[in-house]
Amino acid sequence: MKPLLHAEFRRLLATRLWPTTLLVAALLGGGLVGVLAFAGPENFQPPMPGVHTEAGVRTVLGFLGFTSFVPAAIGTLAVTSEYRHRTIDCTFLFAPDRWRVLAAKLVTYGVAGMVYGLVLSATAAVALFGAAAARGVRLGLPAGTVIELLARVGVAMAAYTVLGVGMGALIRHQIAALCVVIGYLYGGELLLLMIPGVRELYPWLPGGATAALTDFTAVADALAEQQSSSPVHLLPPLAGALVMLGYAVLASTAAMVKPMRRDVA
Amino acid sequence: MSDIEVRNLTKTYGTVTAVDDLSFAVRPGTVTAFLGPNGAGKTTTMRMMIEHVVPTSGSVTIGGRRYREIPHPTTMVGAVFDSSFHPRHSARDHLRIYAAMGGYPDRRVEELLDLLGLAESARRRTGGFSTGMRQRLNLATALLGDPRVLLLDEPGNGLDPEGMAWLRSLLRDLAADGRVVLVSSHALSEVQQVADEVVVIRKGRLLAAGPLRELLGTARAVLVRSPDAAELGRLLRRSTHPVEATGPQDLRVRGLDPAQVGDLAAAHGLRVHGLASEHSSLEQLFLDLTGDRTCA
Ligand SMILES: Nc1ncnc2c1ncn2[C@@H]1O[C@H](COP(=O)(O)OP(=O)(O)OP(=O)(O)O)[C@@H](O)[C@H]1O
Ligand SMILES: [Mg+2]
Repeated sequence: MKPLLHAEFRRLLATRLWPTTLLVAALLGGGLVGVLAFAGPENFQPPMPGVHTEAGVRTVLGFLGFTSFVPAAIGTLAVTSEYRHRTIDCTFLFAPDRWRVLAAKLVTYGVAGMVYGLVLSATAAVALFGAAAARGVRLGLPAGTVIELLARVGVAMAAYTVLGVGMGALIRHQIAALCVVIGYLYGGELLLLMIPGVRELYPWLPGGATAALTDFTAVADALAEQQSSSPVHLLPPLAGALVMLGYAVLASTAAMVKPMRRDVA
Repeated sequence: MSDIEVRNLTKTYGTVTAVDDLSFAVRPGTVTAFLGPNGAGKTTTMRMMIEHVVPTSGSVTIGGRRYREIPHPTTMVGAVFDSSFHPRHSARDHLRIYAAMGGYPDRRVEELLDLLGLAESARRRTGGFSTGMRQRLNLATALLGDPRVLLLDEPGNGLDPEGMAWLRSLLRDLAADGRVVLVSSHALSEVQQVADEVVVIRKGRLLAAGPLRELLGTARAVLVRSPDAAELGRLLRRSTHPVEATGPQDLRVRGLDPAQVGDLAAAHGLRVHGLASEHSSLEQLFLDLTGDRTCA
């Protein structure tokens, strides 16, 4: 297993994709949160609660949740680019136990996803606290809570990276895998929720699990409102994280049952 | 201990039988040419050797084991198929990734870059590599583990004459070290200069296998020019010798030497204007074995 991990880290670091991804993390974290917090959400059209309120801080941090497509895409590419460039031939020659190849990628990209999440959250923290200090605004949430929420966003990013790896292994085709993963994140799940009864499953769906993990409950609140029934109860944060990992394991296991075993020719 | 044994190997894709009950063995210390026309099943057979393709039936073992059962498989087997590199990786990146995967030191990467003449291009991205450079990088990857067995699927594809000469001497050296070297090709004239053994297949079936010299011996033909070619041809066919009419006055006869053909013609009062022993070539052997041109 160690040689495979060594190889996967070398592969990850060999191109400019990785430093570029971290730059994107900093731009999304520091940039997005910085712009929102400096300009003040209350000055937007339509106006949103300012960062001096709890709702305001949560909204600003909530935007970070929408960027999960980046780590998801990076994870997906980990497997699909090997099929696309046909390096998978060589990889399976060196590591004929194909599940080991997938396991090494899951671990490597789990770590990569954490680093991504760390950069995203750390730059966001700097931007948020910096903006508050510069504008002389007192944040609507205690610093400890903000940091905890940001850490949870970071963990969610790692979970999406690993989920991407699993989906990439399952679908194998680069464009198709990206379409499925990103399509689901932006719309797929909301469409699914329109089916009667599926709403009850929301806490267990990736979006619901992410909401539990990041404590960003806009969708859950909207669901409760729209159907004017009992509020949707999200899972505890840790359970949300485990559900996300569960999806990654499920996708990877399904990948090992068939797609990863197929002939490479 | 590194022989390749192919036993009753069959692979079907839907209604297409790519490999059909194929059996042969490849021995160490020789360069074995794996020949067949396009679509004969060479690539499929070689991919089954490393379990990239799962056989429909039959088996392949290398040194008595299935590929997956070989401990540290890349110290045993190196393989070259269509070049497959990440276009944004440099040659060195590519080799370092697989050196790590095989557990080989980075020193080995530098050795191979030198051995294969890639040292100067080591930092360039493979996306911009020429065909020859890609083939060299392919070979370098296959050689990382200093394997006992080399499976090379058309390694000469796209090489210029100089590159081919270099490849031939490399293959010679590798075989001289006692390795198994299996090279598929349809560039027959090029393989002829390096192969000790040949395995010829068509439509997934074995046509011939054995030492190249012996196969060329049996395939030697006599070229006859005669105004009575039609009559002579009938005569030869009646004595069950394979004859091919290559022109109105020309015949190509196998299984007899020039003296025997001349005597036969004289005995029947037929004129012979020219008689020559054909320069035997693998090209011709190949056509005789795989083509339908010969009328027996
Ligand atoms: N993945 C596949 N799916 C369907 N048919 C296939 C597949 N791979 C090979 N075939 C078929 O199997 C047969 C043998 O193909 P193969 O590539 O092994 O031949 P080859 O001897 O390597 O040919 P070439 O000299 O052109 O490389 C062909 O008819 C081919 O179309
Ligand atoms: Mg082929």
